[in-house]
Amino acid sequence: MKKSPIRLGRDKLFLLLYILISPLLAQQMQAGNILEPPQSTISGTVTDSTGEPLAGVNIVVESTNRGTISDMDGTYNIQANPNDILVFSIVGFESLNVRMDGRSVINVQLEEDVTQLGEVVLNAGYYSVSEKERTGNIATIKAGIIEKQPVANPLAAMQGHLSGVNIVQDTGVPGGGFSIEIRGRNFLNGAANPLFIVDGVSFSSQSMGVARLSNQIVGGNISPLNAINPNDIESIEVLKDADATAIYGSRGANGVVLITTKKGKAGKTRFDAQLSTSLGQVSHFLDLMKTKEYLELRREGIINDGVDNLLGNPGLDFFWPDVTLWDQDRYTDWQKELIGGTAYRNNAQFSVSGGSERTQFLISGAYQKETTVFPGDFRYKGASLNSSLNHHSKDGKFSVNLTTSYTKEDNFLPSTDFSPKAYSLEPNAPALYDAEGNINWEGNTWENPMAALEEKYMVLSNTLISNAVVSYKVFNNLEFKSSMGFTSYRLDAQRAMPSSARNPQYGLTPQNYSYLMTNTSKRESWIVEPQLNWNKQWSPFSLDILLGATFQQETTEQLALRGRGFPNNELIFNIGAAENLDILSNADSEYNYNAVFGRVNLKFLDKYFINLTGRRDGSSRFGPGKQFGNFCAVGIAWLFSEEHFMGDGSVLSYGKLRTSYGTTGSDNIGDYRFLDTYSVTGNDYNGVTIIEPTGLFNPLFGWEENRKLEAALELGFFKDKLLLNASWYRNRSSNQLVGIPLAATTGFSELTGNFDAIVENTGFELDLRTVNIESKKFKWSTIINLTVPKNRLVDFDGLENSTFANRYIIGKPLSIVKLYHSLGVDPETGVYMFEDYNDDGNINSQEDKEWVEDLAPKFYGGLGNTLNFGNLTLDFFFQFKKQRTFNTLQFGVIPGRKGNIPMDLYDRWRQPGDITSFSRAYSGLVPTGGLDNFQQQSNASVSDASFVRLRNISLNYSIPKLQEGLDIDVYLQGQNLWTITGYKGPDPEQPTSTRLPSLRQITLGFQLSF
Amino acid sequence: MKRFKHITYKIHLPCTVLDGAHQWRKRVAQFFILALTVVGCTDFVDVDPPKNNLVSETVFDNASTVESALSNLYFGMREEGIVSGTTGVTPVLGIYGDELDYYGFSADLIQLYQNDVPAANGITTNWWRQAYHLIYGANDIIRGVGESEALTISEKNRFIGQALFIRAYLHSQLVFAFGNIPYITSTNYLENGKVSRTPASEVYQNVITDLTESATALDGNDFTSTERVYADRDVAKALLARMYQYIEDWEMAESLASDLITSYGLEDDLDKVFVKASPETIWQLKADTEFPLNTLEGEQLIIKSIPGQSYALTDDFLMAFETNDLRRVYWVGSMSDLDNTIKLFFAQKYKADINESESLEYSILFRLAEQYLIRAEARAHLGNIAGSQSDLNVIRNRAGLPKSTANTKDELLDAILQERRIELFTEQGLRWFDLKRTGLANQTMSLMKSNWQATDVLMPIPESELEANPNLKPQNDGY
Repeated sequence: MKKSPIRLGRDKLFLLLYILISPLLAQQMQAGNILEPPQSTISGTVTDSTGEPLAGVNIVVESTNRGTISDMDGTYNIQANPNDILVFSIVGFESLNVRMDGRSVINVQLEEDVTQLGEVVLNAGYYSVSEKERTGNIATIKAGIIEKQPVANPLAAMQGHLSGVNIVQDTGVPGGGFSIEIRGRNFLNGAANPLFIVDGVSFSSQSMGVARLSNQIVGGNISPLNAINPNDIESIEVLKDADATAIYGSRGANGVVLITTKKGKAGKTRFDAQLSTSLGQVSHFLDLMKTKEYLELRREGIINDGVDNLLGNPGLDFFWPDVTLWDQDRYTDWQKELIGGTAYRNNAQFSVSGGSERTQFLISGAYQKETTVFPGDFRYKGASLNSSLNHHSKDGKFSVNLTTSYTKEDNFLPSTDFSPKAYSLEPNAPALYDAEGNINWEGNTWENPMAALEEKYMVLSNTLISNAVVSYKVFNNLEFKSSMGFTSYRLDAQRAMPSSARNPQYGLTPQNYSYLMTNTSKRESWIVEPQLNWNKQWSPFSLDILLGATFQQETTEQLALRGRGFPNNELIFNIGAAENLDILSNADSEYNYNAVFGRVNLKFLDKYFINLTGRRDGSSRFGPGKQFGNFCAVGIAWLFSEEHFMGDGSVLSYGKLRTSYGTTGSDNIGDYRFLDTYSVTGNDYNGVTIIEPTGLFNPLFGWEENRKLEAALELGFFKDKLLLNASWYRNRSSNQLVGIPLAATTGFSELTGNFDAIVENTGFELDLRTVNIESKKFKWSTIINLTVPKNRLVDFDGLENSTFANRYIIGKPLSIVKLYHSLGVDPETGVYMFEDYNDDGNINSQEDKEWVEDLAPKFYGGLGNTLNFGNLTLDFFFQFKKQRTFNTLQFGVIPGRKGNIPMDLYDRWRQPGDITSFSRAYSGLVPTGGLDNFQQQSNASVSDASFVRLRNISLNYSIPKLQEGLDIDVYLQGQNLWTITGYKGPDPEQPTSTRLPSLRQITLGFQLSF
Repeated sequence: MKRFKHITYKIHLPCTVLDGAHQWRKRVAQFFILALTVVGCTDFVDVDPPKNNLVSETVFDNASTVESALSNLYFGMREEGIVSGTTGVTPVLGIYGDELDYYGFSADLIQLYQNDVPAANGITTNWWRQAYHLIYGANDIIRGVGESEALTISEKNRFIGQALFIRAYLHSQLVFAFGNIPYITSTNYLENGKVSRTPASEVYQNVITDLTESATALDGNDFTSTERVYADRDVAKALLARMYQYIEDWEMAESLASDLITSYGLEDDLDKVFVKASPETIWQLKADTEFPLNTLEGEQLIIKSIPGQSYALTDDFLMAFETNDLRRVYWVGSMSDLDNTIKLFFAQKYKADINESESLEYSILFRLAEQYLIRAEARAHLGNIAGSQSDLNVIRNRAGLPKSTANTKDELLDAILQERRIELFTEQGLRWFDLKRTGLANQTMSLMKSNWQATDVLMPIPESELEANPNLKPQNDGY
């Protein structure tokens, strides 16, 4: 298994040499070119329909593919032969072909293209394709929509906007993550992360957080994507079907998200500044009990349990201080106190861009600071610098693009989310501070939540993403291109737990208690992708061929430590001062990935399209003999609106049928899983360092497979003013890689292997874009998307004998939960009753959990409207979802116990004969027999959580031009402003009792550019 | 060791075709394919082993790494699980049986104290998992060392002897607690994941076979340790004697115990029986070299304050002492609360506090006093009344008690059982196993614990294990 490092070095060297010499080779091959016909200079001006000059128009000589771009005043110069055709094109206008017929001055007027369908170019990763000619399913969201949302993570900007893409925010705490699923869950092992490609470089979205440090505050998920400033994004494309994803082979099974950052444009140097301030608050609070009702239930429980005679016993005061010691009339709204603050976010962004016809640049810098709704001075800070440089040679043959973005994030938070405390603290709990302003321990009868402010959590992260693309046109129709990228992500987290945060009654000291946990992680990757692109037209055929290879290496290092025993709490951030150091986790892994890929695209008569893509992948995550896999797909499209029998297109202006089928895969399982390894644990016995077995030798597992089938119909009516895109898909994933749970007798609890299980995702997606009214003064357009997904476990050999037996059912979705069946409250005794499925007289086992609930959304989507009245633009976007999920019973199900609970529980059982939904009150002192908490695991705890949410509203006013080239915009934006739902919990979207719900935000901003 | 050095890409992407219209283009294409192939074929996707891990085959190339792998087994037995540690057999079987009362708040321990253990109990589940994880480690050593070409015969004997002992010892602990259990001797997960349970009687036979082989491998080996912190030949013999006692092969039990009695001596001072240099210790697990420097058993059992206590000796046990027994003085401590209203007694065999800055005591697993009592019992069964009395009186004598009055076999067996109860209390659950093997468990426990059921003599097989391997079914009776 050992490999000399020299060999690896040689590989890299070879690669480098190869990249360097390739253009030279190409240069040489250029010799012997065909003789060019005589050239003359043509000049002219390009204007729009109103006669205004148009800058940045592409002008290409059709025969030679040489081109230029029009200047700020619309003028251009180009060399061409007198019989050539000039092609004028720019986004937003219909292209124009002009035969020169020997003229030397050609002035043209371009017509605005209403829907721009043919001109919308989509990034498909290794190639681009126009909206009109695409054979695959590519959803996109452009800067225009992203900029209108005051969000800090690109995934947040996508939420609700794309069909087939389900995104849920993990927590309302700044710096937290999002989970994303494209067309449902494919794999039993839960890995749903799509492949993220930022400007051509694959960027791992895997959190490097360590649970023991970050679980209690950001849910463990520190999203590396936070480093990508949404304002720097030009477009995000999501590749969904086989046709679009098979070229990504083993990494395409869960879909691909392509993020393209903004680039400079030729023309005048432009300065742009943007400043905004947001206010954020928790949008919905739980209806909890007030002191009177709370204490009434407490006493009732004590009496019900027959322990009221013990109330006078001071030895038991610690058990019920809320009833015996604390002020019986005091009331604090703990939600207001602990999570009721206002989070401020300030955002500043500056950019300079511009360039000449041949060289363009963009530099942008952004800074943002966000505070929290918690007490204390916590905040998230982020600064980013983004730059791009494009250049092409005079003859247009050689071009180079450089993109670099660097982001530094500094997040400073409490170590634990205050939300659980806010929901459960007794309403009559004592004052936080005493008269002198010290933390009040009320005679050591409670855990003062303010003490937790001493427990701090800090994360620093640095992200660098850089990419260079060099291309050279060997001939007009043959281009060699090489993309090279490097990413680096570093994370330094600290969680300090000083003794001063704990109740002094425990006698904890810095020496015996205080501890600091640290996590130092680093992930670096480089990627090199040489490609050849060749196209040829033989009218009426047009052929495009792409051939390329990928070399990628990713190294990951992580060291998490815990230091215990500090001389004093002031030194707690200095791990060197700790007396004992333990290693919490230590990882160091290397992932090598190698592939060749290709695409063949054939066009016939501009209405029949066939697209073949494929990839052969090799991954170091698999053992010898299992490292390589093949993936491929075919996509076909028929632009039937171009057929003669379709008439003049006055009603149906655009119609396309397309279908695709193919395979993708996944190696999303972590490194070295096939090796039988021993690890150093950091411990010793009798002075001998210990090594512990950490894995079984298992070379048998291979690629997961995902077969995708799609059929779609795209229609445009009334000159494409109404565009409808309907697609149906069926994805089947097999050869599932899961940690197969092992019996402990093997020595291990699980083993990675392929399971003979098939998971199917089918669904229907609809996208509708309409331009409802369009006049000079007023424009109104609407976008609607709808997804109806369905997930099903089709087949699972040996399910009943596996540990998945209690989790999954064949024929049902992976998102099910198995629950007890609640029969309500016994009117005679006031206790919860459950159905005894296995008739054994007990409600205690898995076999009694036979009630099935599916927690996946039934359908979801969005509805957005844009209204322009002159200088005023109003956008509003609704997101909707139909789903069922855990309801407020997760905040408490047994009345009378210590700790606050939802007000609903006030309607509890009181005396025989009462018909209620909640059981009798208990004191908590006497065991209840255990059944009561089962209500939380029963069907009663799941209810409808469908919602319609005004996710985003934005009002933008462009101040009338004071001066040519000066644009000033003022905007007001709102996020999560209004939710219609029957759900009673804090947030139907993120139904948890332990994390801060997503916030409602209002933003006021100002943009200046000149 | 490059396994797949010459993988070449045959560009037969099933869906890609190459156009061959012009010769020169073909050549350019061929050049690039060649370039890709040259770069792609060298084992790019073979990675170096992880830097912080060792691959199994390299572990067994070197005696010092095998030593490290073995150390893991000793460490594992000391830290947690069915041998020693915070929830080891000493406190847990103490509260499950008749020695200790439990005052703490751990739900798992309360279930054990109340003899109401669900199959999902965390402690019993951990015992099972930890033991089999260590057994895998022992089996991998037996396999790897056996196959290794780099180790000497004497090194191989030393490593395999210890690994065999540890495998046998862990299985013996498991069979005491759970009854019929799988006896695992390989590292093949395909087989081990689907094993059925082996009848207890067969498990005992396997343990004896392994121990005999272990004792042979370790015999004549110069391997010993001054602090007796490794399993050597004598340790294998000590466990063998205990095994023969359990299966009632009295001749073998007597012979093995005699071997040990001739080579070890008792510590006369009761105060020093459990210190790390005690001459009667046959095997102990060395405490950590950093923290804690003393035993986790002492940490658990010694009461430092009331309230705050976890374990205390039961009244029933305290009443079992004869008057003037010095062990009551030296091995039992007491603590009162501030008001002097509550006074509790605790086991004080280990006296060192966990925060002590000096290492005074290690966790003792085998000591000579048990061997005297094994031989006394064996001799009683074999009809050697005088020999039995003599062994019994050695122990009584040290405790300051007069000679036993027992004269017949049955009287002697009763007296030995009583003596074992006092001499070996809170040591490795030996009392609990005595109750089980003598058939007295049901009768004794039903008097003490209201929840007791006859089926409680066995712990439940962990629920998660029955799910992961249904061949382990059926569950033990009563669960």
